[in-house]
Amino acid sequence: MKETISRNLRIKKTLKHNLQTYSFLLPNLILFTACSLYPVVWTLKYVFYQYGGYGTGKPIFVGIANLARVFRDKVYWESVLHTFTYGFGKVLIIIPLAFFLAFLLNQQKRGNGVTQSIMFLPTIMSSAVMGLVFYLLFNAYNGEVNKYLLESGIISRPVNWLGKDHAMKTLILTAVWGGVGNYMVYFIAGIQQISEDAIESARIDGAGKLQTIWYIIVPMLGPILKIIMMLAITSAFNDITNVMVLTEGGPNNATMVMSLYGYRYFFPISAAEATVPQYGYGAAVSVVSAAIAGVVTVIYLKVSKKLDDIY
Amino acid sequence: MTEAYAQNKKMKKVHLSDKARVALISKWVFLGIMIVFTLYPVIYTVLGSFKTNAELTQGGGFFPSVWHFENYYKAFIQADFTKYTLNSVVVSISVTILAVTTTSLAGFVMARKDFAGKKILLALYMSMMFVSLGSVTLYPIYELLRALKINKTIFALVIALTGGQATNVFLVMGFTKGIPKELDEAAIIDGCSIYGVYSRIILPLSKPILAVVALFSFRNAWNDYITSLIMTISIPKLQTLTVAVVQLKYSVNSAAEWHIMLAGASIAIIPILIVYMFSNKQFIAGLTAGAVKG
Repeated sequence: MKETISRNLRIKKTLKHNLQTYSFLLPNLILFTACSLYPVVWTLKYVFYQYGGYGTGKPIFVGIANLARVFRDKVYWESVLHTFTYGFGKVLIIIPLAFFLAFLLNQQKRGNGVTQSIMFLPTIMSSAVMGLVFYLLFNAYNGEVNKYLLESGIISRPVNWLGKDHAMKTLILTAVWGGVGNYMVYFIAGIQQISEDAIESARIDGAGKLQTIWYIIVPMLGPILKIIMMLAITSAFNDITNVMVLTEGGPNNATMVMSLYGYRYFFPISAAEATVPQYGYGAAVSVVSAAIAGVVTVIYLKVSKKLDDIY
Repeated sequence: MTEAYAQNKKMKKVHLSDKARVALISKWVFLGIMIVFTLYPVIYTVLGSFKTNAELTQGGGFFPSVWHFENYYKAFIQADFTKYTLNSVVVSISVTILAVTTTSLAGFVMARKDFAGKKILLALYMSMMFVSLGSVTLYPIYELLRALKINKTIFALVIALTGGQATNVFLVMGFTKGIPKELDEAAIIDGCSIYGVYSRIILPLSKPILAVVALFSFRNAWNDYITSLIMTISIPKLQTLTVAVVQLKYSVNSAAEWHIMLAGASIAIIPILIVYMFSNKQFIAGLTAGAVKG
């Protein structure tokens, strides 16, 4: 008798305790369910449906037809290729540049702090607004970039920076502008975790600056370098705003990346474009794109682990 | 002998400092180029916002020949940027408050309490950090908000912009775990309830990490384009600054409105520049707290 009472009490107590706990959790849980969980479940479901949106009739179950269409969609696979070009270009420029900046700026010397703050500045600005500014700067006929290059005699005719041949390079350049400060800060945090003694003793042993970088700093950065690279790769896959504003994926899909390709089946890319939404197909494109990004990440992790073993 | 040694040493010193000087000069030449590369687009935007359209498109000096402050008048009054600025301010502040309060509460119990379903919840939060379907998820969010009949209000935008906050919850959780548990226990012995422990112990002590969450939430909300675009697609009067600025690109006479575009762009970037001037140390420290340690 006494035992049951105490057990009931205990249950009551844990129940009360749990209720209190959930009351703390609830506000975030609502947001998380509505904005993270539900959309993912929705998208996974609609991969198998044909759906034109609110007010266009009921979604029709089509099985794997959407996925099959993704694999046949030539423009999509071109956009995957563009994503890789963009991602590799961005990472290959941004990582060494950010590392070099961090190497030059990590010590507390005069001017270093201010320069760090300046290099980090683009990170806090809207990539959409700056995309518009770059659109004006790189404009073929009236842009400042061509004006300066013509005046200094580097080019003799205006270059169409946003045209078919150069749009991807311009896009990568602006992405480097927006991102290098971010990775510089990561690298500075990493370099500052390396003990001064190791660097100092290398110097005493007669290692030059380059040798110190290559034989001491890079290997000791190992684990952090791995994380930074992974952040750079995954973020390059997700970049969409800058592409959308600067080139709109054009001209003629030359800068169409896979994130934007999925988007265009849901929403118009620009105000000038009228699209008929195909939510089911868009969902399939997005899921395949997420899978590709996932596979690349896994391959990267495997390869970087192999590299660890070599060291 | 000693004289020669001293002379040799002296020469060596001069030689070394020469080398150091070359290194220093080349360092700052390189950094100078990087600084110009970084600052140029910003300076172009701000200076350009005072020029005439002809100066911008047909080639003018670096500085405006006459400072046309009326560009801002046109942007604020004729292009309705007063309204969009107000929207941006209200939305960004609301998102910041919502993000900080919800992640603070959730991070606290996730760090300190055991409850039914905790493991599953943590796994779900973790997995959502890695699954990225991108902006297409805005559509189901929009439909959900329509079903709740709030899609035509500013709440829709605030909710969508705040989002799931999984990363920030983990950030706050990690920080809270670093606060000694003995403090909680002492407070409980002194008669504090769970609410008391939170409001008197954890909340004041987790201010540094909440500042990071606030700073980054504000930045993201202020700078966001796509979410704000989608959530205001049927209610243009709720557009934020970034959306309104980029839409100028598609206006009928956009070729004649570069100066207005740049004035709008300046209105969009100057507030965040001012925030940055006062908090650049926190921004930079916060970034590493979030990424490398988290």
